This record gives sequence, C-alpha cells and structure tokens, in this order.
Amino acid sequence: MTETNKPDAHGAPIALSVRDLTKHYADAAHNVFDGISFDVPKGKVLVVVGPSGSGKSTLLRTIAGLEPIQGGTIALNGDVIETGQPGNENSGRVKRGEDLRTKFGMVFQSYDLFPNKDVLGNITMAPMLVQKRKKEEVEREALELLDRVHLADRAHAKPHELSGGQRQRVAICRALILHPEILLLDEITAALDPEMVHEVLEVVVELADAGQTMLIVTHEMSFARAIADRVILLSDGGIAERSDDPETFFTHPKTARAQEFLHSFDFVRHRNAQAERELKAFDDE
Amino acid sequence: MQGANILLEPGVFPRLLQGLWVTVWIAAVSVLLSVPVGLVCGWLMTLRNPVVRVIMRVYLDFIRIMPQLALLFIAYYGIARAWNWNLDATGACVLVFILWGGAELGDLTRGALQSIPEVQHETAYMLGLSNWQAFIHVILPQAVRRLLPGSVNLATRIVKTTSLAVLLGVVEVIKVGQQIIDANRFQYPTGTLWVYGVIFLMYFIVCWPLSLVAHALEKRWAND
Amino acid sequence: MLDWSFIERYAPFFVNGAWMTLFISVFGIALAVITGLICAAVETARIPVLRQAVAVYIEISRNTPLLVQLYFLYFGLPKLGFVWSAEMCAIIGLGFLGGSYMAESMRAGLQAVPQIQRENAYMLGFNRRQTLVHVVIPQAISISTPGIVANIIFLIKESSVVSAIALADVMYMAKDLMGITYDTYESLFMLIVTYLIILLPISILGTWLERRFDYARR
Repeated sequence: MTETNKPDAHGAPIALSVRDLTKHYADAAHNVFDGISFDVPKGKVLVVVGPSGSGKSTLLRTIAGLEPIQGGTIALNGDVIETGQPGNENSGRVKRGEDLRTKFGMVFQSYDLFPNKDVLGNITMAPMLVQKRKKEEVEREALELLDRVHLADRAHAKPHELSGGQRQRVAICRALILHPEILLLDEITAALDPEMVHEVLEVVVELADAGQTMLIVTHEMSFARAIADRVILLSDGGIAERSDDPETFFTHPKTARAQEFLHSFDFVRHRNAQAERELKAFDDE
Repeated sequence: MQGANILLEPGVFPRLLQGLWVTVWIAAVSVLLSVPVGLVCGWLMTLRNPVVRVIMRVYLDFIRIMPQLALLFIAYYGIARAWNWNLDATGACVLVFILWGGAELGDLTRGALQSIPEVQHETAYMLGLSNWQAFIHVILPQAVRRLLPGSVNLATRIVKTTSLAVLLGVVEVIKVGQQIIDANRFQYPTGTLWVYGVIFLMYFIVCWPLSLVAHALEKRWAND
Repeated sequence: MLDWSFIERYAPFFVNGAWMTLFISVFGIALAVITGLICAAVETARIPVLRQAVAVYIEISRNTPLLVQLYFLYFGLPKLGFVWSAEMCAIIGLGFLGGSYMAESMRAGLQAVPQIQRENAYMLGFNRRQTLVHVVIPQAISISTPGIVANIIFLIKESSVVSAIALADVMYMAKDLMGITYDTYESLFMLIVTYLIILLPISILGTWLERRFDYARR
C-alpha cells in the first residue's frame, strides 16, 4: 500500500490525493503553488478557501487536467494519474483519456452551457457521445437529475432562456450524469445575483448529503462552514491552515493568517448583524 | 518574358505613375470630404427625431445596397442630367464617393457615439461640465478611438473603388494602362500581362499600408 | 415622368441580366466559401508554410480592386497561355476576392467561441473531433453567419463589375439600353429596381439571422 491510498483517520478510502503539487506559469517569477499536499476522502467534501489570487481556481484547473503541473503527483483512487514535469508550462491541456476525464466533473464560475443545445441536449450529449450510452436511458436519467434540481419543466429550454442560477443547476446535472468520482466546483455562485445563490447551494448541500465526493472552491463562508468535512486555507503558494474540523476552523482558527482572512468576512457579518439589530430596535419603538 | 520590356519603354512608367496620381487624388479628395459629411450624418443618426431617423435610414440603406458602379451610373447619367449639372466623370466619382463614404462613416460615427456608456455623460454632468465640454473632453476622445480603425478601412475601400472611375471614362491609372497597351500592341503583344500586373501591384502598394494601419489601430485600441 | 411602355418592353432584358448576375454570383460565392473554409482551416490548425501563404493571399485579395483582378485574369493571363471564358474569369475573380472576406468571417467565428466551451468539452470527455463537431463549429457558424451574409451581399454588388469584361449582367443591360435608346431615367430606374429585388431579401434575411443568432454571442 503506497502513501497515496491510505485510508484517512476515520477509515474512509481516499478518492483524490494530491502530493507536493507545484504549479508555475511561464512568465511568472514565483510558483503559484510550492508543493502542496492534501487528500479528499471518498464521499467527503473538501472546501478550499483563500484570498483572491491565492490560486484556488488554478488548483481546481490543474486537478481537472486543464493546466499542466510542474511537480508533484495527482492520484485518483490510489492510482497516480499525473506526475509533474518541470518546463511544461505551455503544453496546454493535459492529455488524458476520455474515461479519465469523465471521472472529474467540473462546474465553472461563469455559467457556460453549450448555447447551441437545449437543456436536455446539454446534459445528454457527453454520455451519448463519450460513454456511448443509449439515448432513452440517458434521457431518463437526465430528467431524473433535472427533477432533483427542480428544473424538470425546463428540459427543452435554450440556455439563454434560463437565469444564471438555473444554468448552474443544469451545469451540475451535466457533470453528474457522467457519474464522476469527484465533482470540482469552482466558485459556482460568484457570478450569480444574490437571490439565486441559495437555489444553487441548496442543490450542492443535497449532493453532499447523498455522499458525493466534492472539491469546492468558494467565497461563501457560511456555505463552506455548513458543507465542509475538511477545509484548507490557501495563501501565498501554500496551505496556511488545514482542518478536519471545520466548525473549529471557522470559529477558532489556529494560525494568524486564517484569523486575518476570516476576520475580513466577520467584519461584514458583524456590520450586517448590527444593522439588523438597529433596524429591529427602530421597528420596535 | 520580353513583354516586360514594355515597362522600360521611355515614358511608360512615368505615365502610369501619373495615372496612379489621378487615382490617389480622387480617392484623397473623396476621403477628406467624406469626413465632415460623415460626422454630420453620424450626429443626425443619433437624433431621436423620427423624420430625420427615417431619412437617414433610407439614405444609408440605399447607398449600402446599391453596387458602387450603379451609384456611379446614377450620378453621372441620371442626376447630372436631371439637374442640368455640368458634372464631368471625375466630378461624378468624387460626388458618389463622398455620398457613399459619408453614409458609411456616418454609421461608424453613430456606432462610436452610441457605444460610449451613458454613465460617461452622467459623470461629466455631475462634475459640472457643460454639454459642449463633455462632448469635447469626454465623449469625442473616446469616440475617435472607436472610429479610427473602421475609418481607415473605409479609406482603403474608397481607394479600391476608385478603379471603377475608368468605366465612366476618367483617365486614371487603368485607362493610362489601356492606352499604353493599345499603342504597343504590335511591338509588345504580351504587354497586357505586364501592364495590368503593374497596376495590380500599384493598387496593392497604395492599399496595403492603409490596411496595416487599420489593423494596428484595431489591435491597439481593441481593449479600451 | 417615367415612360412605362419602355419599362414593359425592356423588362425582359433586365430579367436576363439578373440571371447572369445571379449565375456569376452563385458560383463566385460558392468558390469564395470553399476558399474561405480552406483558409480558415489552415489558419486555425496553424499549418506552417500554408499559413504564411494564406496570409499573403488574404492581403493581396483584400488590397486590390476586383476590376483590376478581372482585367488581369481576362486580358493579362491569356498571354501566358491561360485562356478562360469571361464567365470563368468573373467566377474566379469573385472567388479570389470573396475568399479572403469569407475566411476572415469564419476565423472570427471560430475565435469567438469562448475557451471555456472547449474546457467544458474536455471535462465531459469529448475528443478533439467531437469537440469540434458538436461544440465549436455549431457555435462558430452562429457567430459568423451575419458576417457571411454581409459578404454575400458585398459579392453580389461587386459582381456588377463583370460588365466590364462584356458579361451581360444587370449593369451591362442598363448601360447598353442607355446607349441604344437614350432613355436614361428608365434604364437607371430598372437598374435600381432589379438590384433591389435581388439584394433586399438577402439583406432582410441577414438582419433576421443576426437577431436570431444573437444569443450565441453572449
């Protein structure tokens, strides 16, 4: 048994294992990551937080194979699927086989359905083309998925007829229908209007409850706190703090870096709470 | 290959250059006069007055949908006669190119003016600038950047279209070429190839730099 | 006022002229589309040498007038032994001119497909061909359609120049009748009407398509 597929402390097998990941851009002076390591156990949710520019999205993109890594390894279910090669900065997307690619489901920040297909077409395209599954079976599953995200009635709508929140829910279905080993969510609510954030996050919470393995990058701290099984704080090319106990991480962070980072969110929250109290007091008068 | 010697005959090359000069001159005058016409058209196109709008729309659409050669014929044989103008072929060409260039430039101007966000006007207003000051210091500098690449492209098109002047009988570079070919028909039977080849090249040499400038402007200001 | 009996008498001439205009245009445009496709493919695939050749062709085609291209083809090239009919020259000329315009529109369409669409296709396991056929090309077509329609209108208009190499198109008919009958206004009127009948529907179609495909740009 190698180090990469050791069960975690609670006995769950490891789905995704990242070791000493190093990422560098050709024209940059510093590495984006300097050898970071973490695991995502099967059925668990790892949330990545960190200030803008800390490389959260890049981390997801390297794991997804969209960008090459220059050092370290990425392993899925114990098999090393990628090993970093120094000097491959400009080699483009990683050459991964189709079946391997479909093991990673990705939902991006900007809602990017294929505009030339309707909702159902967006979801059924990959299973039919890539996995060669039968149309009837795929469509049935797609409708079930749509039903789960409360969009069964929009199956034949075109993407431009949907709201941002609806598009993101369709994008989640499009990733789920391939039965990915792990779902990668890259700030999927960052481009949404505030009133649509909830409907999308609700779906993600349901997925977590159903045992879907996920790696989530988000700015929504209350959501992160509610959904995370593990948290890592990314900062200055490394992991500033990691925790298997999210509740403690969000309430009593250990490191100064984490305290500072979380404080910037707390400030806003306190201000809002205070404003609410004042408003309430005003109403009571 | 000896047909190429036609180009070395005394007087041939200077005459072609003189013809080219006529071409460039017609194009240059047309482009220069198109600018005021285009700016006024552009301003008229942004007005909300429905009558002005419809007139400008019909004008632009008609100019756009008619082949330039048809416009030249209409101007030279139609308008000149109807209004009893003593309009020579060169005059008809310049007239058409101004009307055409003005309409196209007007549409470019309209697009450039309308592409500037309303908030720019509002900011200028809040800063206490007068309408005129806002136009000169805020709107115009931004509009010009959006306008210039398209305008240079339009100039290239006008230069190319100047070639049609020969079909109205203007003695420009193509006509000069034809005269040279005719005069040397027996001495240089293959002269046609070389003379038209040179004219081809001449147009390219005039138009290409303009294209490069337009392209460079587009690239430079694309992200502004 | 216009002399309607003249118009009645000579309308068939313009119908014939219109057929010639359409004949030259249809084949010229087809050639332009094929040329454009090849050029856009070469540019997108970044094939060395061919790519430079395409770049040179596009500059030459865009920076020289069709009339001079036609004179060169029709009067010049026979001296080298390439003798083509006037129709052939007109079609080749339009194809040569239009190819660069079509290539630009198609390339713009391909480039306008956002990178993230390809990334989505990658994540869903599509291979290169599937990505191209099912994701990139359908969107590129939507995006480039208005430009291609504009090019079609442009090429039909440009085809009026073929009257200069003695092809009896709409323009040629008008010019001929003015010379024969001196009924200038009627001839010009018919000239305008014929071009409007040919070009207006395409122009309206273009506007409609542009509106319809607008979602692809968002």
